[in-house]
Amino acid sequence: MNHMKTIAKGVSALALTMALGTSASAQDWSAELDDHDGTTIRVQSIADPFIDAFREVSPAFTELTGAEVTLDSFGYDPLHEKQILSCSQGSDEYDVLFIDGIWVGEFAEAGCLEPVEERVAAANPDVMAMDDYIDSFKGQAIWDGQLQCLPIAGYWHMLHYRKDLFEKHGLEVPKTFDELMQVAKFFAEDDGDPDVAGMAMNFQRGSAAGQQFFEWIYSAGGKPWESNYPGSDDPYADQTPLFNSPEAVEMIEFFKAMVPYGPPGVEQFAWDERANAFTQGKVAMINNWSVRTPLFTDPDISKVTDAFDVAMFPHADGASSVPPVGGWIMCLNAHGQQKDAAWDFMQWFASPEVHKDFVLAGGPPSRHSAMQDEEIIAAQPWVPTLYESAKAAWQEGRPRHAMTFEMIDAIGLQVNRAIVGDATAQEAMDDANETITQMLNRAGYLK
Amino acid sequence: MAQTTHTGTGAFARAKLEENDRAIKLFFIAPAVIYLLLLSVFPFIYSVYLSLYDAKLTRMDRKWFVGFENYERLLSDPLFLKAMQNTAVLTMSSIILEVVFGFLCAKVFLSLREMRTGQVLRSMAILPMMITPICVGLMFSYILNPTLGIMNYLLSGVGIEGPSWFGNPTFALPTVIFINAWQWTPFMMLLMLAGLVSIPDSLYEAAELENAKWYHIARYIELPAIRDVILIGIILRVIDNLKLFDLVYVTTRGGPGDSTELLTFFAYRQDFRFFQVGYGSAAAVIILLISIVVTTVAVAYLRKVEK
Repeated sequence: MNHMKTIAKGVSALALTMALGTSASAQDWSAELDDHDGTTIRVQSIADPFIDAFREVSPAFTELTGAEVTLDSFGYDPLHEKQILSCSQGSDEYDVLFIDGIWVGEFAEAGCLEPVEERVAAANPDVMAMDDYIDSFKGQAIWDGQLQCLPIAGYWHMLHYRKDLFEKHGLEVPKTFDELMQVAKFFAEDDGDPDVAGMAMNFQRGSAAGQQFFEWIYSAGGKPWESNYPGSDDPYADQTPLFNSPEAVEMIEFFKAMVPYGPPGVEQFAWDERANAFTQGKVAMINNWSVRTPLFTDPDISKVTDAFDVAMFPHADGASSVPPVGGWIMCLNAHGQQKDAAWDFMQWFASPEVHKDFVLAGGPPSRHSAMQDEEIIAAQPWVPTLYESAKAAWQEGRPRHAMTFEMIDAIGLQVNRAIVGDATAQEAMDDANETITQMLNRAGYLK
Repeated sequence: MAQTTHTGTGAFARAKLEENDRAIKLFFIAPAVIYLLLLSVFPFIYSVYLSLYDAKLTRMDRKWFVGFENYERLLSDPLFLKAMQNTAVLTMSSIILEVVFGFLCAKVFLSLREMRTGQVLRSMAILPMMITPICVGLMFSYILNPTLGIMNYLLSGVGIEGPSWFGNPTFALPTVIFINAWQWTPFMMLLMLAGLVSIPDSLYEAAELENAKWYHIARYIELPAIRDVILIGIILRVIDNLKLFDLVYVTTRGGPGDSTELLTFFAYRQDFRFFQVGYGSAAAVIILLISIVVTTVAVAYLRKVEK
């Protein structure tokens, strides 16, 4: 078995090398990139699963330009903390920063980013292929009317479910919240397997529960503030909070009703716990970011490699599915000392052909071309559903201004209070609305 | 005249020597003073300064003076008040557990002090306090994990369905208190054991002649003898608990709800997650003031007891 794995990895590496070789020959990079021999481009990133694919692909840039590329990765909160502190000190330790799309307002306001708008305009349009990016994620790289970064690692939410168990019990894949609850209840109570819970969601206090609010609210038929709804021309025009709207309160009640159908301790679940429960076969359904989907197929860590499938994010009766969008945008450090070399790397890495190699190595597809590529679909069969989700997503799903961290945390506290029974859904969301109204008033965001 | 001259020369020489001596003393204490000024006094003064401003680290060019508004907001912020309450409960409960179990353990190790086994067990017993709190937190996160942890597995073996230790607001703070007490009971035990060892054997012999029970010995001989040691231990642990952060950061992150929100965690989130350095500094200053007041009162009490 180990020999088989080694051979499989060898073949995979060979295929990637060939693919990279093919890519290198498809585009004449000598006309696009300068010689950067002796330079080291330092990249700072989230420790998400895509960094392995990043490391696999980047050596080809060294072959083309002589520049070494190194990547340091950190957890979500530590990365935000390090990047903001480094920025406040004008640090040039890193040349390229991966930031969460929802941090863009805070980083742009703090002067941490050099907008790439002008560099993109001056670059070869075939290399940049900006129209090839999926709008719902591309929008997260734009702030103040300018393209701040390159949107190269887009994630969308899908419902991940155990198709083997669904087939065994003759269940339909849920499309609405009500159907989702019925199926979750079935697995939690009636399927005869006490080890498999119904549905795991992010209920942990803080970012996990706070982000979940924003991830579900549009599909619940609500909106977080007055002018933020799918298709809004100016989502930040009127930011009057609506966290205690009837739709929001009903959604929180739905969350609470789902708790008994989750694995033990689901009140403390965040991204890792949710994904781990699914990989260990402990839960029948999760809603999850697409970046983790490839991990479920890895036999080294997953027990459900062939036993799961994906579907569109569910929605409330009378509403439509608005899948959450997120992911990591690649930015130029405003304080960096080798911006030209860093930009060369960024435009090379973001180009459609290198992006395809990145996706084939396990990275998240963020371009139309990657989503429609037959080779990618053959390797990642969930991509058609992902593409459908990506097209239905709304770029402003979560706030992207400078108060986003505080706002999400404040909601995360109140959602968790309702989940654990410290407050009713109405009380918790009334508190959330009041806290956020005060917060936004102090920041001058409310007119 | 010659005598006077001689004396005058001597006084001058002594004055010169004293002056040199003072210079040498100043020279030797200067590094410590500079170190304290740079690492303690300056950050404190800067924190007080920042606490009077509405300031966000990412927008420091746009900070403005608000006087004591941050303090007023803090004292009406339900989360901060809850953090104060939780910190007080955690501090008192942990210390009570540590003193009680520390004393019992010290008694056990006192009776075993002549035996080699006792020495080995004593060394093993102080292992928890040698582990960093982050590791302790991770360790208990695994042990108490409701799905994969061994604790609930063992409980299920005797027909008890274990709770979600960190996910249930009823259990979360007591669980953190238990872990904290588990880690630092050995510290109190060591202090009290050192105190118990110093009690003269004659007092125990006299008690034996009087047919005193073990609780009489504890109440009238041992506890009075080690009272100073216990007080010093309590002062140190109060300061430690007011600073407790890592254990909560790893296990509960202040949740579920606000049930394990501590003052340090509150200040950390304001300063390093939201970068609201004005509001966070005000919280830090309040934590420091509480530490100073509690420590001053405790030390004054200790001095009174000593007299």
